[in-house]
Amino acid sequence: MLDIDTITKTFAGAPAVREATFTVQRGELVCLLGPSGCGKSTLLRVISGLTDADSGQIRIEGADVTAMQANRRPTAMVFQSHALWSHMTVAQNVGFGLRVRGMPRAQIAAKIADVLDLVGLSSFGKRLPAELSGGQAQRVALARCLVVEPKILLMDEPFSALDAHLRKALREELKALQRRSGLTTIFVTHDQEEAMELADRIVVMQAGRVEQFGPPGRLYRQPQTLAVAQFIGVMNTCTTAIQDGMARWYGVDVRAAMPPGEAVVLCRPEDLYLDPNGAAATVTRVIDLGPVTKVNLITPEGDLLTWTCARDLAPVQGALVRLMARHLHVFRGGNLVGRIEQPDLVFQEGAMT
Amino acid sequence: MSDLAQMSAGAVRGPAKRTGHGTQAMAGLALVALPMAMLLGLILWPTMRMIGATVTLEDRIGADRYVAFFGDAYSMANLRFTLEMSLISALTALALSFGIALYLRFSAGRIATMIHALSLFPLFVPSIIISYALVRFLGPNGLFQLLLEQIGITQYRTPYLTPVGPFLAFVWENLPLPVLVLSAGLTQVSDHAVEAARDLGARPLRILWEILLPQTRRSLLIAFALIFLGILGAYTVPYMLGPAAPEMMGVYMQRTLGNLQDPDSAQVQAVVLMAIASVVGGFYIATMLKSQGAER
Repeated sequence: MLDIDTITKTFAGAPAVREATFTVQRGELVCLLGPSGCGKSTLLRVISGLTDADSGQIRIEGADVTAMQANRRPTAMVFQSHALWSHMTVAQNVGFGLRVRGMPRAQIAAKIADVLDLVGLSSFGKRLPAELSGGQAQRVALARCLVVEPKILLMDEPFSALDAHLRKALREELKALQRRSGLTTIFVTHDQEEAMELADRIVVMQAGRVEQFGPPGRLYRQPQTLAVAQFIGVMNTCTTAIQDGMARWYGVDVRAAMPPGEAVVLCRPEDLYLDPNGAAATVTRVIDLGPVTKVNLITPEGDLLTWTCARDLAPVQGALVRLMARHLHVFRGGNLVGRIEQPDLVFQEGAMT
Repeated sequence: MSDLAQMSAGAVRGPAKRTGHGTQAMAGLALVALPMAMLLGLILWPTMRMIGATVTLEDRIGADRYVAFFGDAYSMANLRFTLEMSLISALTALALSFGIALYLRFSAGRIATMIHALSLFPLFVPSIIISYALVRFLGPNGLFQLLLEQIGITQYRTPYLTPVGPFLAFVWENLPLPVLVLSAGLTQVSDHAVEAARDLGARPLRILWEILLPQTRRSLLIAFALIFLGILGAYTVPYMLGPAAPEMMGVYMQRTLGNLQDPDSAQVQAVVLMAIASVVGGFYIATMLKSQGAER
């Protein structure tokens, strides 16, 4: 449906997007996720045509649209600031795209009524944007895009200016609406929870590069690069030297049949468990988060660790515990080289599938 | 903070705030007192006296002088010429400055900075210099004529004593202010507002007509009022340039007062001009108040 093929964009010599390549299937909701300045919004603007790519190709349903102007592309974009026109009523804002297309008035009115009904604002047509709340304004912005029936809906951090509660509600509404309509959607966000909840697949970007592209669960459980591992969720990071097929993990030797040298070994807080042969650490803080308890620890070498466990397993502050990991992710040169798995803590080369 | 501490903090803050507010209000009044006194004493009071004088006849109160003004074909021709010149020059300057402001809003770099500086240049040139410059440029044996002759055009007839002369000077003189006002207005229109229209299929002309012009409507009205009022009461430019008859009201008033030694008629001309300016001024103030209300 949408092919992003080695897209590169540079601003005044500074690369914003570097050879981004991925394919979005019809009806998919794909999130572009990454920290501020990673190039995700630039890439979205390149897809919309509002920013020109320096090189690469964008194809929509097989047709090359790279050189096509924004006003001719079959895409529609919802902006972070909703960008409603303050001098037009809600109905006029929503109907703008249809007027541009020269649709007859009666037909425009019917379409506006339909789409406002779809976003739950059927009685708001005569209001001005200044009379809307943040959430309502974003719904109008969404309706303004939906009404022109784009092939691809582009959303640039549309909920980031809203409060957490409203953001969550709108997220669910959007997901339900997108499922019903089957509209291919690209959603930019820096909020990984938002991306995990919304996306069928996530593109993780870092410094202009696509680090990994896949379903949310796989990104979490099988990060392919150190950047993805450290950006998605929480990771305990241990830099170690591998010698004679053994890696030292917080003072415990684990088998790692790989060439000697530096490696970074990561594990998720929920992958830790109490084990008499595990790494020693002292509890510095116990935080009851409700469903789970978060335990902050420090090793005798001064390394900090985070462990999440059930409330009844949580030790008291100051206690000395020994912890072992179910899975360890081993990275070298920023890329995954393998995993060390329980029960034998044996190194397995390459990525898991 | 404990409840007691909060209460005591509140007790201290409460009266201090009230005292501060009172002092602020007094300081505010003191600041406006002098200009207000000057406005009342040096402008409004003489104006009221002047208006009174125009309707005070030897033996009674009456509008005879106004009847005479509006019945006089030459006065009416001058008034019409002044209004037409003000309107056409103001609209032309507004259109040109909107173009410049648009360019400056959506462009960056050295050329944009240069154009910005050039567009503001007339702000620092007095009217008398502009007028002389135009006379030297457009007048007989001026630079323009010499340039035309260089390329073989010898039929040039200088427009500086026709309405074109003051028109050119007014437009040039009145470019910077609207550029500043409209640039400020256009910065209020977000990039996203324009991009959203583009993204939905709008071409540049439609974006101009349906997004940019309505969004800068207030700035346009304010800029128009400022230019129009400036041209309406102009003296130097129409004194130096333009036809001898009809003449613009500023020159006409001065001539009636100075050459014809007829202060009564000059006052009537001034009141008529002021009445027209008041309508546009009222319009300007209403727009300003509306925009301040919208901001609140």
